[in-house]
Amino acid sequence: MRGADYVVKRTAFALVTIFVAVSINFVLFRLAPGSAVSNLSRVPHATQELRQALKRQFGLDKSRGRQYLIYLEQLTRGNLGVSFENEQPVSTNLKTAILNTLPMVALGTLFAIVVGTLTGVIAAWRRGTPIEGATVTTALGFYSMPTHWLGLMLVILFTGILPTGGMTNDFLINPSFWTHARDVLSHMVLPSLTLGLVLFGEYTLIVRSAMLETLGEDYILTARAKGLRPWAIIRKHALRNAMLPIVTLVALSLGYIVAGAILIETVFSWPGVGRAVYDAVLNRDYPMLQGAFLFLTISVVFFNLVADLLYYKLDPRIT
Amino acid sequence: MTALLQVEDLHVWFDLQDGGELHAVQGVSVGVERGERLGLVGESGCGKTTTVLALMGLLPPSASASGRVLLEGTDVLAGGEASMRPHRWSDVAIVFQGAMNALNPVRTIGSQIVEAIELHGEAGGKAARAQTGELLESVGIPAARASRFPHELSGGMRQRAAIAMALSCHPKVLIADEPTTALDVMVQAQILELLDSLCRDFGLALILVTHDLPVVAQLCDHGAVMYAGEIVERGLVDTLYHAPRHPYTRLLFAATPDLGHETEEIVSIPGAPPRLDQPLVGCPFRPRCDSAFEPCATSRPLLRRVADRHAAACHLNDRPSQAPG
Ligand SMILES: Nc1ncnc2c1ncn2[C@@H]1O[C@H](COP(=O)(O)OP(=O)(O)OP(=O)(O)O)[C@@H](O)[C@H]1O
Ligand SMILES: [Mg+2]
Repeated sequence: MRGADYVVKRTAFALVTIFVAVSINFVLFRLAPGSAVSNLSRVPHATQELRQALKRQFGLDKSRGRQYLIYLEQLTRGNLGVSFENEQPVSTNLKTAILNTLPMVALGTLFAIVVGTLTGVIAAWRRGTPIEGATVTTALGFYSMPTHWLGLMLVILFTGILPTGGMTNDFLINPSFWTHARDVLSHMVLPSLTLGLVLFGEYTLIVRSAMLETLGEDYILTARAKGLRPWAIIRKHALRNAMLPIVTLVALSLGYIVAGAILIETVFSWPGVGRAVYDAVLNRDYPMLQGAFLFLTISVVFFNLVADLLYYKLDPRIT
Repeated sequence: MTALLQVEDLHVWFDLQDGGELHAVQGVSVGVERGERLGLVGESGCGKTTTVLALMGLLPPSASASGRVLLEGTDVLAGGEASMRPHRWSDVAIVFQGAMNALNPVRTIGSQIVEAIELHGEAGGKAARAQTGELLESVGIPAARASRFPHELSGGMRQRAAIAMALSCHPKVLIADEPTTALDVMVQAQILELLDSLCRDFGLALILVTHDLPVVAQLCDHGAVMYAGEIVERGLVDTLYHAPRHPYTRLLFAATPDLGHETEEIVSIPGAPPRLDQPLVGCPFRPRCDSAFEPCATSRPLLRRVADRHAAACHLNDRPSQAPG
């Protein structure tokens, strides 16, 4: 069957990609000059014995190949090592960060997809009118704004109206579930809005150009000749075809955003993955970084897979 | 009795990027009666497609049109999009060029035909699907193929499906814009035969746009020859062939290779049609004409009746002694 075949093939391809990326990840960190031991034993009067002890402790006395196998084995068990910074398992740290990032990113992206698609379609349909001009100018404006600058502007604009940093109000003692949810949501508005506005610009431009291309197709002329109304033409003939490039681009951008809303999370002190990466870099927390890289890899590959599968669902020509 | 479809003094201008204007259709008047078949011929770029798009109100926003399109006596062009829409497909349907993407690639051919049937209230749901099956059978496609996507059919089959779709709402006029271009010769012949028999069976009026004269001779009873945005001669196909009253018509027929006489050399008409983004002075065909004389350089000939059901736009016809041809 055409469907099952494709899904299996794509999924296998995704898994292989992740494996390769993981391996490269491993090699990269070993290629860096010096080792954990040389760094740790840089104390005055470090004896040869201390070095050896450390080497053994970190498993660095084993061969590279052996280390690689151990790394893979531990990975399959979900062991990503221990953070230098807070001595918690990296997987625990990462999980917390991911759970914090996802809702914020999801909210922003949802906003961008809904508003961006709408404005993109309108701009394409009203081609050559002031509506298109205004939409494109606005979109370009937001698209070209530096993310952190837009974030700061929103902070200035909304100080006192909405919380501008962190994820919770620490002064709420034992809040009920609803109070807590409302608190987190209000903290989420600004970072989500920042992400949403930047993405909105990008998505509007993508949707507009995809729509323009589709509206010039012959089957749109046929649909008009059949007597369909403009909105029906967009809904039944144009959108589905225009979705093809849109789905790919949105899915690709999502892969990076999930793991890398670094600027936004830094500006708003949002304790997510981006923030964790930022802190790990500052603290030279290699295990944490390596874990974050792994997550980035997986999310990019995963969203690629999602794009492939959606594309397949939307376009009957793909076999 | 009023004519079924009558186009009167149609003009179309395109706004060009550089701010200029291109006068693509320059006063075309043409019509068809019930069951009549009109062949609209002319070189590439002479405005055939623009004419048929204009009469269905399908021009792009960069175009502006003037003139009248009378459908059984009522002007459907004047009221704009809203007055045209109900007539589309249920009165006038169109089949585009075979190579074109006239069918939506992500929807089954069946659903695209059902859509037209339901839109015009011909039938709904199950009945519409049953009708679609019958339509497909009538153009030689097994009804089960309704669930196929356009890319799963050959070019000829796609064109058959497009024809079935055009017939779905029982139009009175069928427009076919180069329906066989880009198809191989065998398939071309089949499609033409199909059009021929369908028009006969359904009592359709046909406007066939083509630059292929033998096709017109085979399928149509009337012909209209277009040059540089206007109709230069109009009449029965036989008359156009045997007694043309415009040098362009004569040369056009002469330039058509005749398979029956292989030894005959193929003549082409030297020169190229005039640019339509500049005003034309005199007869647009004069630079290429083999029998031009004084008035051709200064005054533009108008389409005039030269005989019963025969009109031409040539100054030669004003000289009683000398008819062209
Ligand atoms: N959208 C447009 N914008 C500007 N000019 C156009 C546009 N469409 C057509 N034209 C011009 O109008 C003229 C008539 O074009 P049209 O497509 O009607 O010719 P045609 O007789 O159908 O030719 P063909 O045999 O190549 O299909 C040409 O000069 C063409 O360049
Ligand atoms: Mg054409």
